[in-house]
Amino acid sequence: MTVQKPGGMPAHPVITIKLASTSDEMMQCYALRAAVYMGEQNCPYWEEFDGNDYTATHIIMYVDGEPAGSMRLRWFQSFCKFERCVVLRRYRGLGVHHHLNAWCKDFARRKGYKRAYVHLQRRLLPMMEKEGFRRVDDRIFNFSDHEYYAVYCDLEPMEGAVKLDTDPLVTNRPEDRMDAPGILEQSAARGASNPHAPRVERLVN
Amino acid sequence: MQTIAQSIGGEVITTKLAMKMEDTLQAFAVRAACFMGELEVPFSEEFDGHDFGATHVIAYVGDEPAGTVRVRWFQSFAMPERLAVIQRFRGHSIGHLLLERVRKLAESRGCSTLYAQALPGDVRYWERQGWRRLVAEEAGAGAKRIVAMIKAVDPSKPLPEFEAPEQLSLRHEPQLDASGLPLGTVSN
Repeated sequence: MTVQKPGGMPAHPVITIKLASTSDEMMQCYALRAAVYMGEQNCPYWEEFDGNDYTATHIIMYVDGEPAGSMRLRWFQSFCKFERCVVLRRYRGLGVHHHLNAWCKDFARRKGYKRAYVHLQRRLLPMMEKEGFRRVDDRIFNFSDHEYYAVYCDLEPMEGAVKLDTDPLVTNRPEDRMDAPGILEQSAARGASNPHAPRVERLVN
Repeated sequence: MQTIAQSIGGEVITTKLAMKMEDTLQAFAVRAACFMGELEVPFSEEFDGHDFGATHVIAYVGDEPAGTVRVRWFQSFAMPERLAVIQRFRGHSIGHLLLERVRKLAESRGCSTLYAQALPGDVRYWERQGWRRLVAEEAGAGAKRIVAMIKAVDPSKPLPEFEAPEQLSLRHEPQLDASGLPLGTVSN
């Protein structure tokens, strides 16, 4: 018999986290953010979808196959910024955000980042302190009707993190599966025929 | 007839059909906020596979996407569904405005009947806007029970005899095909 937690969730949900790499997965991230920020926190659409979605990396988390959480990552020179972290209300209280945070930290480490940075709603500081984050300074700032701290966390260097001298085809791999050969490595087996479509004269009718 | 607000706090209320990817995302965001955020509908039920075979209408308060409705088109009726208005914009008849836009759209396409599936608790809402039950009987027990509602596109013309396939239209459209061909099969 499956043990149920309060709220009808199984005690051992299957958690899957991946890079949002298709438009459908991106859509799932957007839907989760709309549900939490627009639906629960009254955030206006244009503040939630602030123009940075297409310069960012999105991570999607499934619980038992259903989209349950997501995170947006933006890449600066000296840190990775974790943003728009959501867990759908139904999936809260299971601690699944720990998995999401840990996954994103490893993702950033693999890219060679040494620091993660977050604009954190004040009420969530104790939660993120447990994740190893601490305040950058004593500033408190506000946007979208909430008060925030800037917090950061140092990341352990990772063996095999991407550097300039990393095998070029390793750098080309899907970023959430950098330990396995990617589709471009398979394509390398075709050799290099350097194909280019010939330039054709336009037909005049 | 209800009065429809023209503006909220000086911001003009407008509606438009989704024409671009960004428009469609706005419609989806409004639905996600209402259905997933407020009513805890799972993603896989809310985004059920019909979104790219449908027309989306969006209501704006100023620049802000405030409401949306999806219309699916059948031979004998147009079907508005997934009607949603962001919580803070409710009470200004934006839902009515969206449904009126749907009615006009259906009219312009030569459609005579609107068909909708309402939750029992929402039947009064639809009735106030000139809809009636397809079948006169009470909805019976169960909050998830669906009530079929219809409305004439042209209020001056009575509805023709018509029976909606009550169970059918909720399913994925490929399943409507009685031939049993799997999705994506090429046939002549």
